[in-house]
This record gives sequence, structure tokens and C-alpha cells, in this order.
Amino acid sequence: MILVENLVFQYPKTDAPTLKGLDFNIAKGEVFGFLGPSGAGKSTALKVLYKVYGKYDGAVLIDGKNLAEWDNSYFEKIGVGFELPNHYLKLTGKENLDLFATFYKNGQHRDVNALFELVDLKDAINKPVENYSKGMKMRLNFIRAIQHNPDILFLDEPTTGLDPVNAHKIKELILKLKGEGKTIFITTHSMETADDICDRVSFIVDGKLQATDSPKNLKKEYGREAVNVELNNGHVQEFPLGNLGENDAFLDFIRQDGVKRIHTQEATLEEVFIRVTGKSLKS
Amino acid sequence: MYKVAKLALTDFKIIFRDSSLKSFLFLPVILFVLIIWVVPNLVEKYDFLLPYLPLFLVVAVIENTQMFCFISSMVLIDEKETDVAKIYGVVPLSNVQFIVSRFLLPYFFTVGLNIVLFLVQPFYALDIGTVLIISFLAALVVPAYVLGINAIVENRLQGMVYIKAFNMLVLVPVAAFFVPDNIKHLFGIFPTHWIFQSVVAATQGLSIAWFSTIGFLFFTALIWGVSKLFIRVHFV
Repeated sequence: MILVENLVFQYPKTDAPTLKGLDFNIAKGEVFGFLGPSGAGKSTALKVLYKVYGKYDGAVLIDGKNLAEWDNSYFEKIGVGFELPNHYLKLTGKENLDLFATFYKNGQHRDVNALFELVDLKDAINKPVENYSKGMKMRLNFIRAIQHNPDILFLDEPTTGLDPVNAHKIKELILKLKGEGKTIFITTHSMETADDICDRVSFIVDGKLQATDSPKNLKKEYGREAVNVELNNGHVQEFPLGNLGENDAFLDFIRQDGVKRIHTQEATLEEVFIRVTGKSLKS
Repeated sequence: MYKVAKLALTDFKIIFRDSSLKSFLFLPVILFVLIIWVVPNLVEKYDFLLPYLPLFLVVAVIENTQMFCFISSMVLIDEKETDVAKIYGVVPLSNVQFIVSRFLLPYFFTVGLNIVLFLVQPFYALDIGTVLIISFLAALVVPAYVLGINAIVENRLQGMVYIKAFNMLVLVPVAAFFVPDNIKHLFGIFPTHWIFQSVVAATQGLSIAWFSTIGFLFFTALIWGVSKLFIRVHFV
């Protein structure tokens, strides 16, 4: 669906490229994530993919066709969820959605009320957006991006600014869209979001991809297959996961006293990120 | 066409819901009061003002354009400042459709205002062809000005500063009336000079063909140029 080869992009009047030879592909129906700290080049890569930046080196193919060769029909095919809320504040939520729906051949794929209901905004549908909270505006961003039923979704930090309940709801909706066969490219600095919804992630730092794989494989590769056991008497010991039930040392250890805690030593995606890139996601 | 009309009408909706923009819709009323009542009374009272009647008229023509120059500039600046402009970069709307939709109503509204101005002004009897040509030419100030401002500024504060500067720039060619005839066209580097000269020629019963042709060509080239700059910065 999306194939990117050796993508290099440099902003005018800068000394070095922001994107330094990115290679990745996204299959139809896949949720693919760029995970990286602020300034890593995540949003720049997205902007190249949704044709805001036209001058780049390398190849970008969408459905086998060079991105530069796509005309305006490309925008019928994609939906973009921006990182920050961007709406006409004097218009109501419904007026905002209706306006942008008119630009698409099919208009709104779903009933506008159903769209608002999808993200718990039905009560605010006819209120001016200037009265919305940031989280409400972000949810409006999301339904604007999907209202014309695009095949490809580009979502820049889709859960930023949302409370945990609404972040969960948006993640569920993204997975539902994936189930409908949509191809979804997200950027995020939230390892939790990436871990929850991405089939594969790429770690991006300083415009370069450092690793690409499924969160599960990355955690397995960089984590330890072990359990850490803490007893009520304060003793702590680590044991390999393999054949744990037949490990005499483990069995003797837990018979000493009651078990206070027992944890697998699987790495979090953030820990993997730090180990692979040497950088923190929060930087 | 539906896309263009919808966006054009949305602009009006935004204007009417923004009290700071809505108030500017009354600017032409003030101008009309000045031209219909105040200026005739002044001229009657002070004879020395009589030779300057074409100037009053030409300034009114330009000021008629300033209502939508301000309103449309602020709508687009606001759109950029709130990042709404970015959405237009990712929807199936061409740059030409975008620009046409944003200026369709302001342009024709301004044309209409100037036609009415020429019809109600009590000083000169101008033929309708001349009135139409000058009105269509003068209204081109709106897209040139608004696109120019929005190609430069990034926020409302900068916008206010540049709007002040542009308001003065459009009136600079008034000075051409106070310099010897052989150098007056040096002010031709200002596009509004050709509107000024067309109006003055019309009030003297002279042909406006050359002045208006140069004016149309100048504005066409200017709008094309500033559109390119505008497109480069507005949607990013």
C-alpha cells in the first residue's frame, strides 16, 4: 500500500536534512507507527506522505504509483488527523465537519450524528467549537479525518491531549478501522499507544529509522525471558522462564516464605527504545 | 462549483459571527455618507476644493475596496494562526478553487459597491461601460492585497501592522496629482496608480482604455505572483 525507499527531506535554509534516508513499507490493513521523541522527523515524514512537502529525494509509492504522480484524487483516498486541534472556532462542530465533507466526492460516509456519537460529542454537535475543550477538539479532529471513509489514515499523535478514557476510545476506533481494512500510519511519542495498537513500529531518531518490527518482537528481542521474585522476608531473586515449574532453585526459593511479588522481566517498549537508540522518548 | 460556493458562504458565516469583522461591513456606509452629503457640502462652502473632486472620488473608490481587504485578510490570517489552513492542503480542493472561493464574493461585492458609488455620487455623469470597467479593475485590489498580506504575515499582530502599511501604500499614487505631468507615471509602480488615472480620465471625459488595460495587466500579473507566494506558505 505504502512503500518508502531512501526518503531524504531537507527544509529550505537548513544545513542538514531532517529525514536521512528512510526505508519502510506499510501493508494494506496494517497499523504502522513511528515512535520517536519530539523533533525526530515523525511529523515531517507524515507531511511528505500527505503531499504538503513536494520536494524530496527517494521514492514514495502509494498503491504502486509514485506519490508525485497522484493528482487531487489522492486526497479522496487519505484522511489526516493533525497533531493539534484545528477548526473554525466560530462555527459549530457540525458546521466544521459539513464544510470539509463538501470537498469529497462522496461527502460524509456516515451520518454526521453517528460520527459525533462515535466519540461522545453528540451533545456538543451544535455548539461553537470555541466552547470545546482541547480533548473535544482532538476528537473532532479524528472524526473529520475519517468522515469520508478514506483507505489510508495518517494520524499525528492521535491520543495526545486526551484523557485516558477518550484515549482508549480513540485506540479502539483505530483498531476497528484496521478491522475494516484501512491502512493506518500513526506517529506518537507514547509507547503505550504504539504498544496497544501498532502491528509494527519504527523507532525514529534524528531523521533515521533505528529499528522496525512488531512491539512484541522488539520487547522479546531486547527483554529478558525471566521472572523476578520478591518474598515477604525481603529476599529477591531472578529465575529463567524456561521450565520454571521444574526449576528446583526457584521452587526452593518460594518455599522459604510467602511470595510478595512476581514479575516477568519483559522489557517495555520504552526500555527497548532507549536501548536501541540511546535516547529517551521524553527528550 | 458547490465546493467553491460552500466555502465562499462559510466565510460570510464566519464574518457575521465575529463582531470585530462584522463591524467593518459598515465602512462603505460611512464612505457613501461622505460622498453623497459631506463632500458636496464642503465643495459648496469651500470653492478651492473643486479641482480636487476627482481625488475625493478616487479615494472613495479605493476605500471601498478596503472593507474586504481587511475582512478577508483577517479571515485568512486567523485560518493560518489556528492551523485550519493546513486542512486545505490535504483535501481534494485545487489551489485555484481555493483562491476563487475565497475571493468570489468579496470581489463581486466590491465591484457592486463601486458601481453603486459611481451611480450615487453627485459630481460626474459617467457612462455605464466606464463605471463597470473601473469597478471591475478597482476590485482587483482585494485579492492582490489579501494574498500579499497573507503571503507575508504569520499572525494577527503582524497582520495588523502590515494592513496599516498596505492601507497607506494603496493611496500613495494620490501624490501623482501633485507632481508635474511628465513624471506622474513614475507612480505606475503602484498598481493602484492605474485605477487613479482611469478614474481621473473618466471624470475629464477622456478615454480610460490605456490606463485600465495597463491596470488589468498589472493586477493580473501581481495576483498571479502573490498567489504563488501565498500557496507556498499558507497550507504548510
